[in-house]
Amino acid sequence: MKVGRRAVLQFMAGAVGGTLLSPLPWKLTDDAAIWSQNWFWRPSPARGEITRKPTVCALCEGGCGVQARLVDGKRAILLEGNPNHPVNQGGICALGAAGLQFLYAPYRIAQPLKQTKRRGDPTGFQPIAWNEAVGELAKKLGQMRTDGKPNGLAGITRRRRSSMDALLNQFFAAYGSPNLFKMPAHADSLKLAGAVTTGREAAFGCNIEDAPYILSFGAGLVEGWGSPGRMQAAFRRWRQGGKSAAKIVQVDSRCSTTAAMADRWIAVPPGTEAALALGIAHLMVKDKLYDAEFMADRVFGFEDWTDSQGKSHKGFKFLVQTDAYTPEAISKLTGIEPAKIRELAKEFGAQKGAVAVWGQPQGSVPKDMYNELSFLALNALKGNIKAGGAIGFAPEVPLGALPELPGDPSALKGLKQLRLDLASSQKGPLPVLPGNNLHGFLDAVSNGGKYPIEVMLVHEANPAYGLFENKLFQQALAKIGTLVSLSSYMDETAQQADLILPIHTAFEGFDDVIGIPGAPYAYYGLCAPVLKPHLNTKAAGDIVMSVAKQLGGSIAAALPWASHEEYLKKRAEGLAASARGALADKKGVELWKLQPEEALKPNYKDGADLWKKLAGGACWYDAPVDPLKDLKTESGKFELAAQLLLAKGQTGDDDQVYLPHFSQVPPRGSDKDYPLLLVTYQMSALADRDLANPPFMTKTVFDFILRQNDQFVEINPATASELGMAEGDSAVLKTPQGEVPVRVHLYAGARPKVVYLAQGLGHKAYDEYIKDKGVNANGVVEVQLDRVTGLGTVWAARAHLRRA
Amino acid sequence: MKEENKSASGKVVGGVVFAVGFIGALVFGWVIGPDLLYSQKAQPINFSHVAHQDTTCEDCHAFRPDGTYVGIPKIDKCKECHESQMGQEKSEQILVEEYIQKDREVPWLVYAWQPDNVFFSHAPHQAKGVKCESCHRPVTEEKVVPYFYENRLTGYSKSTMKMVDCEKCHAEQNGSNNCEICHK
Repeated sequence: MKVGRRAVLQFMAGAVGGTLLSPLPWKLTDDAAIWSQNWFWRPSPARGEITRKPTVCALCEGGCGVQARLVDGKRAILLEGNPNHPVNQGGICALGAAGLQFLYAPYRIAQPLKQTKRRGDPTGFQPIAWNEAVGELAKKLGQMRTDGKPNGLAGITRRRRSSMDALLNQFFAAYGSPNLFKMPAHADSLKLAGAVTTGREAAFGCNIEDAPYILSFGAGLVEGWGSPGRMQAAFRRWRQGGKSAAKIVQVDSRCSTTAAMADRWIAVPPGTEAALALGIAHLMVKDKLYDAEFMADRVFGFEDWTDSQGKSHKGFKFLVQTDAYTPEAISKLTGIEPAKIRELAKEFGAQKGAVAVWGQPQGSVPKDMYNELSFLALNALKGNIKAGGAIGFAPEVPLGALPELPGDPSALKGLKQLRLDLASSQKGPLPVLPGNNLHGFLDAVSNGGKYPIEVMLVHEANPAYGLFENKLFQQALAKIGTLVSLSSYMDETAQQADLILPIHTAFEGFDDVIGIPGAPYAYYGLCAPVLKPHLNTKAAGDIVMSVAKQLGGSIAAALPWASHEEYLKKRAEGLAASARGALADKKGVELWKLQPEEALKPNYKDGADLWKKLAGGACWYDAPVDPLKDLKTESGKFELAAQLLLAKGQTGDDDQVYLPHFSQVPPRGSDKDYPLLLVTYQMSALADRDLANPPFMTKTVFDFILRQNDQFVEINPATASELGMAEGDSAVLKTPQGEVPVRVHLYAGARPKVVYLAQGLGHKAYDEYIKDKGVNANGVVEVQLDRVTGLGTVWAARAHLRRA
Repeated sequence: MKEENKSASGKVVGGVVFAVGFIGALVFGWVIGPDLLYSQKAQPINFSHVAHQDTTCEDCHAFRPDGTYVGIPKIDKCKECHESQMGQEKSEQILVEEYIQKDREVPWLVYAWQPDNVFFSHAPHQAKGVKCESCHRPVTEEKVVPYFYENRLTGYSKSTMKMVDCEKCHAEQNGSNNCEICHK
C-alpha cells in the first residue's frame, strides 16, 4: 500500500488531536517544571528530627551564647542566639549567623598535610598520617632542644581569651622559648595602661549598659566593640520602645554606623580624638566640673608631684591647663568651634554617670599609650574609676591552675635568652614597657635577629593576611625554617606552611572563652561541640599535648592531661573549687547590675556539676573588682603621673612624658606626594583579621562597598570634585606601603581629604565567594611602633588617589 | 463518477487514517505513556505491616514532642526489637545483618515525599481529624510493600500528592488556600 503525503498529514492530525485529549502533554509540562526545581546544584536541606544544642561561640572573643539547630544531631543547619544567655540575650552578629558555613566550607583542611615542594606551592601539599606529622614536629623540636636552642621556637595565636592561650604558654615555658605572641589587639595597650595607672596588668572594662551618657571617641559601639552580642543587647536596652535611655555622642572622623545611630556626631580629623578629650578635660578642670574629692584622695599626679629622688614634676592639672589644650588650640587641631567644645565639656562634666569610651569595633588595634592615658584621665576626672563607677576591672577567672614547672635546665637555658624583639638591636631605643610586640618580633626576624627562629607555630591565626602591614610577616617568613600551621582552613598563612595540622572548627571540639573584652564583670563560657567532627581533624590542645608527650620528660609532665577535654574539665574543677561566682542558665541575669566585690552565692554543686551545666550552655560570671583596691602603684593611688614609666627609665624633654598628653607622629611620606590620608575601618558585615567572610555574610555587604570583585573607597563629594572623580570611577590608591586598585564611592559622611577603606576584603585564599574580592587594607596601612610600649599602632597613612 | 467515487473512498480512508492516529495517540497518552514515565523500584527490603500487628501505629509513626512527625522511623527504632533476629524471614535477616549490625539506615523509598518548596505538617491535619488513609494507602492488611514508581523526569514517587489534591481538600474543608500556607 502506498502511503501518500495526505495520509501522513491525516495521521498526524489525528495523533495531535488524540495527544491533546490525553493527559500526557500536561503531565510532561508539569514534570518538566518540577524537574527544573531539582537541578543538582540546588541545595536541598537534610530532613529529620530537628534538635537544638546550646554552646558558646568561639568565632570571636565576644562570649555570646548561641544554639545550633541540627538535623538528626548530625547536620548543623542554623546558628542562632541563645535567649537565655546573659551576654547577647538572643542576639547574634552577622559572622555568627553565617558561622556554620565554616563547618562545611570547601576550604576546610581535611587531613594533615606536608609541603613537599617549594613553600607556597599549592600542588606540593601531600597528605600525611597524624602520627607521622606530630612525630616529625616533635623530632625537630627535640633536636633543637638537644642543640641548646629551644628559643628558636616561636608562636602566634589568636585565642588570647581561651585556655589554649594558657596551654601554649605552658608548653612554651616548659620547652624553653620566650617567643610566644598573640595577634595584636586593643587589650595589649589597655593592659599596659592598666599597669601604668593601677599596677595591675589588666584591661579596663566599662559598665556601658547602665551609662546615661556615652562620649565615644571613635568606639565602634554598633559595629561590635569587643562583643557584638553584648553591644546589640545594650543598644536594645538603650533604645527600647523608641525612648533613649542613654545619650550617645560619637566623636569620629567618618560617619560610621555608630555615628549615624548616635544622638550626636562630632566629626574630627582622624587621630585627634585624644586632643578633644584633653580639651574637654581642660575645661572640666578650669570650670571645676570634676570630681575634686576623688582627684584629691585617690589620684596621684593631678597636682604637681615629687619623685623618689626628690625631684619635683608638674602634674596633670598644670599640663592640661596649658595653652596647648585651650578650646581655641583644640579647635585649631580638630576644626570644632570653641563654643561647641565648651558645650560638650559642660554637658559631659555636668551629667552624672557620663562615661568616655574608645577603641575600634573588633578590638584589634592597640592604641598609643598616651591616647589610652588621655581617655582614662577624662574618666578619672568624672570619678568613674572607683567602686561603682563605670570603669573597672573584671577579676581573674579562678580556673584550675596548670602544673608548676620543675625548672628544667634545657628550658631555663632557652628562657634565659631575651625575647627576640628585645634581644636584637633595633633602629631606635627599646620600649620601656614592652608588651605583645609582634610587629617588633617579626621585624627582628626579617632583619636577622640575635638568634634564628627555626620553627614557628601559628595557631588559629592568619598573620599572612590579617597583620597590619602584612608584608612584614612574609619578610619574616623567608628567614624562618619551618612554618607549622594549626588551622581549620586553607587560609593565606596555611598556604605558606610547611606542615599543616588541621584543627576542629569552633563547633566541633571543646573550647572556652575567658572574659569579655570591654566588660567589667568576670565571665567564663564553655564551647561544647554541637556535632562530631566530619573531617580528620584534632583539637589544637590535643596536638600540643601529643607533641609534649613525644618530647617527654619535664615537657610531658607540664602537660599531664589525657586530652584537651580533660584539661578543660580540670580547669572547670578549679573554678568550682574557688566557690566563687554563679552560673547564668536562664533569662533575667543582668550582669551590668553586679556591684563591685559583691559576693555571689554559687548555684553549682561541684566541678562535675559545673562542667555539666557549662556544657549545657550556661555561663559562669562574677562581680567586678573595686579598681582602687590593693593598688600596686608606687603611690598606692591611681597614677595619672606614671611613676612606673619613670622607674622603667622613660625620659623626655619635659614632664609630659609621664602624663596623659596629645602628640601625634605624622605618617611617613610627604604632603606633596600624598595629599590625602587613608583611614581603614571595620564594619559588622565584614570579618576582619583571622577569619574570612562566609558567603552568607558577604551577601550583607552593600554594593557601594563591594561590587563583584571591585572594592570602593569612600571619599567626600568635595574631595571627589577636586580630584575630578565621579561615583563609581576606577582609581588607584597609593600609600608609602603600596598601591591597590579601587573604585570611588562618594559619601558625605567621609571627611574631606580622607580616603576610607573597609578592612576584611582582598583575600588570596579561601573560596570563590571571597577570594580576589576587593583589596587587603592591611597591605596599605601604616604601622607606627608606640614609643612607650613598642606595640604596633595604626591611625592613618598618607595617600594618593589617581584615576586608573 | 469515477472521480467522485475516488473522492468518497478517499474521504473514508482519510477518516480511518485520522482515526488510527487519533486512537493510537489516545491509547499512548492514556495507557502506555504514563507507564513509560515511571521506573519500577523495589524497596531495599520487604516490610510487612501485618507482622507488626502487636504494636500500635504510633509506636513507629509518632509525633515528636515539638509536633513534627517522624514519618518512617530510623534504624534505632527497628533496633529496639530487632537487635537480633526474631523470626525466619529473609528480609528480617537482611535488616539485622546489613543494617542494624552495621548501624546503617535503611534507604527506604518514601511514597509520599513532597518537594523542598512544600511545607507540610501532619500535626494540624491530625488535629482536624483527617484519617491517614485519606492521603496514604491503607497498610493494616499489607504483607508485602508495593513497588515504588519513580518519575523518570522528577525523581518523585508516582503517589506523591499533587497540589491540586491539597487545594481541593482545603477548599472542601474551608482550609486556607493562600500560597504561604504551604510555600513558606
